[in-house]
Amino acid sequence: MKTLLTIRENSYAWVTSALQGLAPLLLPICNKPFVEFLVDFAVLAGSREIRLLSDGPLQEVEQYCEDGSRWGVQMSYAHIKESDDHQTIFEKNRRFCNDSKVMVIDGFVFVGYDKKNDYRDLFNSMPDGTVASCTTGSIRLFTVSESNMANNDETPVSLTPIDSVESYYDLSMHILRHESSRYVLPGYGSEPDSYVGRNVTISKSAEIIKPVSIGNNVQILAGSVIGPDAVIGSNVIIDRKSRITESIVLDNTYIGEELDVEHKMANRNTLISPQGAVSIAMEDPHLLTGIKDTARGIGNLLRTIVHTLTAIVLILLLVIPFILITPILAVQGKWKSSRKTCYDHTCKGVISLPDVSIERSGPLSAIAFALSLDRLPTLFRVVGGKLSLIGNAPIAAEEKNLSPPAATPGYRPAVFSYAEAENWPVGGSDAAIVERFYAIHSNPLQDIGLTMKSLINRFHDTTTA
Amino acid sequence: MKDSTITLCLPGNIRFTRLASLTASKTAELFLSSMKVSKGIDDFQHAFELSVSEAFTNAARYASPSSHPQPVTISFRFEEKQLTASITDSNPAFTIEPPAPDIENYPEGGYGLLLIRSLMDTVSCRRENNTNTITMSKQPEIH
Amino acid sequence: MIIKETKLDNITIVAPVGTLDASTASLLNENKVLSETSATVVLDLSQVDFLDSSGLGALVGIARKKREKKADMVLTSMNDNVRKVFEITQAFQLFDVYDDARSAAEHCRTKTASQ
Repeated sequence: MKTLLTIRENSYAWVTSALQGLAPLLLPICNKPFVEFLVDFAVLAGSREIRLLSDGPLQEVEQYCEDGSRWGVQMSYAHIKESDDHQTIFEKNRRFCNDSKVMVIDGFVFVGYDKKNDYRDLFNSMPDGTVASCTTGSIRLFTVSESNMANNDETPVSLTPIDSVESYYDLSMHILRHESSRYVLPGYGSEPDSYVGRNVTISKSAEIIKPVSIGNNVQILAGSVIGPDAVIGSNVIIDRKSRITESIVLDNTYIGEELDVEHKMANRNTLISPQGAVSIAMEDPHLLTGIKDTARGIGNLLRTIVHTLTAIVLILLLVIPFILITPILAVQGKWKSSRKTCYDHTCKGVISLPDVSIERSGPLSAIAFALSLDRLPTLFRVVGGKLSLIGNAPIAAEEKNLSPPAATPGYRPAVFSYAEAENWPVGGSDAAIVERFYAIHSNPLQDIGLTMKSLINRFHDTTTA
Repeated sequence: MKDSTITLCLPGNIRFTRLASLTASKTAELFLSSMKVSKGIDDFQHAFELSVSEAFTNAARYASPSSHPQPVTISFRFEEKQLTASITDSNPAFTIEPPAPDIENYPEGGYGLLLIRSLMDTVSCRRENNTNTITMSKQPEIH
Repeated sequence: MIIKETKLDNITIVAPVGTLDASTASLLNENKVLSETSATVVLDLSQVDFLDSSGLGALVGIARKKREKKADMVLTSMNDNVRKVFEITQAFQLFDVYDDARSAAEHCRTKTASQ
């Protein structure tokens, strides 16, 4: 048997508007992307070839699923038009459908199945026709020689529409509470009802109450309580003394201190209440005001002094190698200096910064890179009070930014970035999480430590490369 | 292999487009084999094949005068973690901003830069000494 | 570039072989069946190994002219690299895409007959 998945753009349009930055077909349901549940089910039903059809973009899902070899199937992708009916879709994929029984799963729907059941023999022996249906979708069986259609009385699987924030929330919670054993969920589970991914740090004083599902790269800090009924995505930090109950925290989200998240969905800096036909998105006031307060006042003055002094020390240390090495590199054409315009700390104004890149070849440029000589010109800006020593990587003003600084609370353009210090990839949405975390938590002393750490990281990078 | 640079200089005429794009594809293949990457080879090659095809077409189309077209230089640099391609021409200045997809009255051109931007990790344009250079880099996926 | 033409039940299937880029797009535009007649055609892309935005532009132009004449051009059998160009530019919304030339020709025939 082969499987055709037809998912139309208008059926998942609500995801794009309610949950910014998520690819609808990769919407995590208990931490597993939606489309993977469909693939799992198709495999259970005996499909070795699966084709995904949509009238919308498929790029993200294609990047995720690739050729399907991960599941031992062959996946292909094709486009349909919004106006295409079942027959047309079938015609457009005739070559794929030929000589085989075809299962068509239509709509943005969740197929409720049980991995312990054998659907292969069942579906093969079933006559053509509708196997299951709901308001927004269906599962149907076709064979190339169109025979008489028969409706099956008993449905071996259930279909649930995912047509709103509420239905999505309810579905994820329902699976976590009652049906997690029926699906293959990601993460390790030393006991039932608890799934924990890779690189998860849980503070000793944090409490985890089942059932929970936790993704990869998650930090849960002291005194926080996770669960019951919590789905925590990947690249998430739950700060001190926060409680997450009956809630979904989506990928790349930072939950501030002492927050009580109950019966909510958190996506980046938005909290969404799942109730009601219309989703209500609210700015998370705790997170944003919390950072703005620490950015001013005495702490800030102290930080400026510490940053300035450290910068002076670094300049004094680096200036002699700089004078010795850079002229040679400049002559060799390996020292490329230009300027770039970035947002300043107010997020409104811009500053022009020297932007140096060193061509990484030969021992001299390796030394220059290891000593971070390329950062020396910007260090003077710290003394001038225009930049911080460590903070966020400066956001270029001319680029069409995915995350303009206004969306990065506590944005402090700096010579070194916290992401660099922690060896996270700079510039990605992952880095934003680390930078946001330290925007609240770092103190001036820690800043010196982290600056050293990023210097050492760059040194280490060169020597091991 | 690391730090090698390959330079190809072609007349600025669209007849040579395929030569440019095939060179890009084969260079990308060579780069991957030196990195011992075994996954996503086809996608990586195609990204360079397509991007260089687009950039060369842009450069050749605006080359003047058409009877004696200015040469277009394509260079590939094998860097530590990424492959970088640069296409340099000496035409009047142009902009890098691609138009947004317009489905209603789909124009027949102008999609080159959109393609390059979505296929490459970084794309930048520079104008100096009366030449335009578009530089684009991509890292292969390492698993 | 070679452009092969075959007929299936009065519907012409045009199959370019090779590359569709700036250097070959004009050849496609010069093809009589594609650019001059007002008959609905099938463009078989199974032997096109590479397409860029200039090639795509030519296809969009031909389809537009066909539609002005109340005809159409449907596409079949594109490989993954060709499909990627349609995907990124969202040009797939402009075409009917089949995975099989015969099936596409049948579609064209019923469409022509109903007019």
